[in-house]
This record gives sequence, structure tokens and C-alpha cells, in this order.
Amino acid sequence: MEKISLREIYKIFFIIGAQLIGGGYVILPLLKKYIAEERKWLSEEELIDYFAVSQCIPGIIAGNIAIFSGYKARKGLGALAAITGLITPPFLCILILAHILTNFTNNEIVQEAFWGIRISVIVLIIITVKDMWTKSVNSKFTYTLFSIVLIFLLTMKISPAVIIILSALSALLYSKIKGNKNA
Amino acid sequence: MLKLYLLLYYEFFKTGLFAIGGGYAALPFLYYMQSSHNWFDMDELTNMIAVSNITPGPIGINMATYTGYTTAGIFGSIISTTAIITAPFIIAIIIMKLINKFKSCKEINYIFNGLRPASCALLISIGLKLLYQTITYNKEEWSFPVQFDYNAIILFLILILPFTFMKKRPFIVILAGAVGGIILKNI
Repeated sequence: MEKISLREIYKIFFIIGAQLIGGGYVILPLLKKYIAEERKWLSEEELIDYFAVSQCIPGIIAGNIAIFSGYKARKGLGALAAITGLITPPFLCILILAHILTNFTNNEIVQEAFWGIRISVIVLIIITVKDMWTKSVNSKFTYTLFSIVLIFLLTMKISPAVIIILSALSALLYSKIKGNKNA
Repeated sequence: MLKLYLLLYYEFFKTGLFAIGGGYAALPFLYYMQSSHNWFDMDELTNMIAVSNITPGPIGINMATYTGYTTAGIFGSIISTTAIITAPFIIAIIIMKLINKFKSCKEINYIFNGLRPASCALLISIGLKLLYQTITYNKEEWSFPVQFDYNAIILFLILILPFTFMKKRPFIVILAGAVGGIILKNI
């Protein structure tokens, strides 16, 4: 197979990055089209594997798949080209918007709109939790863990990193205890 | 200034390392930064979330860029964006080298059994705190006395009822909120 140039990788992920609106899952159909079908850098099965693994490791899902795909094409440098390409368009968009917004924050209409958007954000958070719920909280153990964590979060100030580490440890411990009982 | 850049890198490195699953996973970390460093206020935080939703790109990375810019200008945004992808980048490269082993690793599934409910709790706690602050005019968490902002309650109900059943389109939810905000504040 002929070597894929880093510029080509950057370019493709730049195009994907510019079209990525509305969160991580949108990247899957884009990658299928640009990388699996048109360029055949990897197969559809590989893409689905990458997607599954991306959800299980730290980092943003879309970013992780980009890193995997770039790595498949050209190892470490390919991964770097892919992730840089992916974040260039949003990076520029954010800078421009942030700059414009700071000049408009005293405008009354803009303030009213952002007052409403604040409520949209709350609604988005609630909908996201609702979508995650059945896959996440579905057993005695997960209900208990959810309730304990929520009580802690609502009553004191704890770093989310501490919550993540403790939850991972308790789940591992629970599986060990349960495993021993069955054996 | 150097100290701020280093702290910014550290906070977003940590976010990249521990924020697991979907775009909103970074949100609890931003909320925590808000309460411990005062780099931005609650209003700015919600503006950042909104802008990250309506611009292209992964939401988590967008929020990092915006926060970096608000905190320390363009250089700050470069630092926070680089920081949030550092840990995932290193981990992804390692995973690629052992991808076949990883897929069948049982321990990972067990750990996720605990991480998913924790993420739900992290997100819903922020949702509840923001809701409380918005509908009661209070800037502090759980402060009294309570005075209700009826406009906010009305808009919340208008948005939550239909969008709970519809397919999630963040852009439309945000647009509806903006329009609703302008209408409710002017009648």
C-alpha cells in the first residue's frame, strides 16, 4: 500500500472537524464516508472496534477515534496529524465567537438570549443523563453507587477526579467480592 | 502569569485523563474549576457550554478552548486545548499497540460498571445546582432565602417537556432557549 501523506491526513480530519456539530457520535458516519469508503485507510469493522474502545478510555470520543485512525494510517505522526486537523476548525471558531461575544455582553438582547440559553443548557444536561440512564444505572450496585455519589456531590465540594477514581475502585472491589461468592 | 499557565495545563490535563465517555464528561471538571479557582463566573460557564454546543468540534475540547481563552487569552486557549488531549493521546497510542488484548479485558467492564453511574451522578448534580441557581436568583449553592424567578421556571418547563421525548438536537434546544429568553424578558 502506498504511503499516506501526513498532509492528506491533516486535510481529511480538518474537513471532518469542520462538520462535527453536536458531539462525539456524529464523527462515526463522517469517518465511514471519508476514511473507510472513499480512501479505504481502514475497514468498517475496524472503525466500529475503535468506536467501542474510544468510549472506554479517557478523552473525548471523537478525538480518540481520530487518534486511532491516524495511528492506523501513519503511526504516531499520523495520530498527531489527525487530532491536530480535527481540532483546528473548532479552535478557530471558538476563538472568533468568544472574541465577538465579549464585545456584545452588554447588549440587552444578547443578555436575554443567554439567560434563556442557560436554561437550555440545564435541559441538555438532564436529557443527556436520561439517555445514559438505562445503560448506566440498572442494578442494585449501580443504584447504590449513584445515590451515594449524588449525596456526596450535593452536600460537599469534591473533585470529580476523586469521584471517578473511588467509583472505579469500588466497582472493581465489588466484582471481586461477588466473583469469590460465586466460586 | 507562568503560574496561571501551568495551573491551566494541570487542570485540563486532569480533565483529559479522568473525563470518561461523551462530550459532557468534561463539564463536572469545569464546574469544579469554577468553584475552586474563580477563573470565570457561573454565567460565563453557561455561555461557554452553549457556544461549545453550537460550534463544530467535540464539545469537551471546545469547552477547553473557550475556558482557556476566557482565563488567559489566546495563549491560554492553546494551552488548555493541548492539555485536554495530552493524556488521551498517550493512552490511545498505547491502546493501539495492545488493542486485541484490551477488547477482552474483563476488569475494564467491571470498572465501567462503576464509572457510568458516577458520571450520571456528576452530571445530574450539576444540572440540579444550575437549576436551583437559575430559578431562585441565588449565585451560591443551596443558599436561602429563596425567591423564585417565575420566568425561568416557565421557560424550563416549556423546554424540558417536548425535548425529553424528541431526538436530542442540542442546536435546536439552544436556539429555542435563546428565543424563549428574549420573548419572556420582553413581555
